[in-house]
Order: sequence, then structure tokens, then C-alpha cells
Amino acid sequence: MAFTSSAIVFSVLTVATYVIANFLYMRFRKTPLNPVITSTVALVAILILFDVPYETYMEGGDWVAAFLGPAVVALAVPLYKHRELLQKNLVPIAAGITAGVVAGLVSGTLFTRWLGFTEELILTVLPKSLTTPVAMQVALTIGGIPSLAAVFVMVAGFTGILLGPYLLHLLNIDSPIGRGIGLGASAHGLGTAKAFEYGPEDASMSSVAMTLAAVLGALLSPLAAWLLL
Amino acid sequence: MKIVRIVLQLLVLYGFLLIGEAIQALLQLPMPGSIIGFLLLFSALLLKIYPLEWIDAGATFLLSFLSLYFIPATVGVVNYGPLFSGKGVLLLPIVIISTLITMAAAGFVSQQIANRSAAQKEES
Repeated sequence: MAFTSSAIVFSVLTVATYVIANFLYMRFRKTPLNPVITSTVALVAILILFDVPYETYMEGGDWVAAFLGPAVVALAVPLYKHRELLQKNLVPIAAGITAGVVAGLVSGTLFTRWLGFTEELILTVLPKSLTTPVAMQVALTIGGIPSLAAVFVMVAGFTGILLGPYLLHLLNIDSPIGRGIGLGASAHGLGTAKAFEYGPEDASMSSVAMTLAAVLGALLSPLAAWLLL
Repeated sequence: MKIVRIVLQLLVLYGFLLIGEAIQALLQLPMPGSIIGFLLLFSALLLKIYPLEWIDAGATFLLSFLSLYFIPATVGVVNYGPLFSGKGVLLLPIVIISTLITMAAAGFVSQQIANRSAAQKEES
């Protein structure tokens, strides 16, 4: 990481944009105002407007992104706090998450293959259901494009929030465990935010599912890439 | 004092990350070092090797801004504009449909198994 003036300018700019975006979201509470989306759109607009190459921006961006790794490690703490819930429902949770992760990896790979996308793009779509920090690192590990993987993770998250409730209703998935595991395993943090609206038990389930799906996805993605490509 | 505790605990989290990355490099594992660090911390907490109080404040603080840390990466989409103006736009429906399949599988299987074990408990 560099100690340049662009490093200072762009790390401060990223944090400031995020703070403003968060303020807007807290104020209006509308899903499309999700701070990741608004911050990304604002920063992309600034880069295009002032003709700044992404590589220059990343001299500062790298400083912010450096917190991703420790944050993934920190996910162990909320999972540990939910350990009783996990122990009590170990079999349905484990089976549901395994089914979801496998279905996601297989369907994502097959669809992209059928439409003839390059291997690099297939490997970028693969980790879309995992929480962003893990998805990006998985993409990097298996040969995908991390920043593009992060975009697909956002698309997956918004699918979960916007279409998830209809799908769950359609399939008669109406218990906290079914809804929570479904939302967390497919739509990670955004799904977990949605699960909060159903109730605290849904939210805990979803948070556990998000973390376990990330771990299982990180373990199975290289295997899926190897088997299905 | 709370700030000192948070900073120290952030350093511990970073330490777990470094150990995870070292293990990943040493054994050439095909998974991110951060996931290995996560598994190490979770095991240490479960086995009561490392007490929750020594990590809770730092982890909670760090996770409260989780979405900030991946914004630099999502901004990287600026380099992929041409992809989405062509065939790449098909990747969006693929991701949407595959996400719904994931949700259906995870939600349906967990609910069915939970219901079945609840019914068994009532019978016995």
C-alpha cells in the first residue's frame, strides 16, 4: 500500500461518501438507497467526471479494503454468540445450507457455461451468494475477477430482498428457520437485513446461514470449479 | 480505555488473519486465508481457549462498518462498463435465477427437516 497524496485523498473520499450514503439511508430507509449502491454510484461518477483511473483511486481504496480480511475473521464472534441456536437446529441448518450452496454453485456454473461465457466470468459468478468479503477473496483464489464478483454479490442480495418474499410465500416457506436460512444462504447480509423484518429469530437464523454459507462456499467453490468446468 | 481495548482487539483479529494466510500459503490451500483465520478464531472461542470478552468489542466495532470495506471493490465496476453493454448483460438474469434457486433449496430443505424432527419428537 502506498503513502501517496492520492492514497489520502481517495481513502478519505471513500469514507466520507459512505458516511453521507449511510446518513441518507438512515433518514429515508428505502431499499434502493442501500449505502453500498449509492456510495458506488457516487464514487464511479466522481472517477468518470474527473477522469481518474481506477488504479489511482485504489491507492486510497486499498487502505479501506485492508479491513476486509480482519472483518471476515471477526464474523466468528456473532456466530459464536448464536451457538445455542446452531446446536439446537444443527441438522436442518446444516442440510439447508448445504443444499442451498450446492444448488447455487451448480446452477450458476451451468447457466454461464450454457451461454458460453469465458472461464474467468464463470468463476466470477460462482461465489455470488457468499458475503462480499468472502466472495471477493474466493473469486481471487479460483481465478475470477474480485470487483466484478462484488457486483454480482450485490445483484444476488437485491434479488433476495426484492423477490425473496414472493418466492418464500409461493413455496410455503413460512417458518423462521426456513425463511432465515433461505434468505441468509442466498442473499448474505442484505438477506439478513430483510430477515430482521420477519422477526429476531429469522434474523439470527439468517446471520448464522450467511456465515456458514460463506465458509462452505469458500470450501466448495474450488471443487465446483474443478468438477464443472 | 474502550478505544485502547478496541484497537488491541483489532490487532488480535489481524493476527488471526496473518496466521490464516500463513497456513494457506504453507499448505497451498485453495481457500482464502481469512476463512482459515475465521475457523481458528471460532474454534478457539468454542474450545474456551480464547475468551469472548477479549475479542467482542473489537469484532463488533469492525463489523458495524462492514459494508464500507468492500466499496473500493464495487467501484471497480467502472472498468467493466463495456461488458454489460454486450452479452455480459445476460449475467444479470443468470445471477437472479441462480439466487432464487439457492434460496428455494436452502429454505425448503431446512424447513422440511425441521418440521419432520419436530413431528418425531411429538410422537415419541
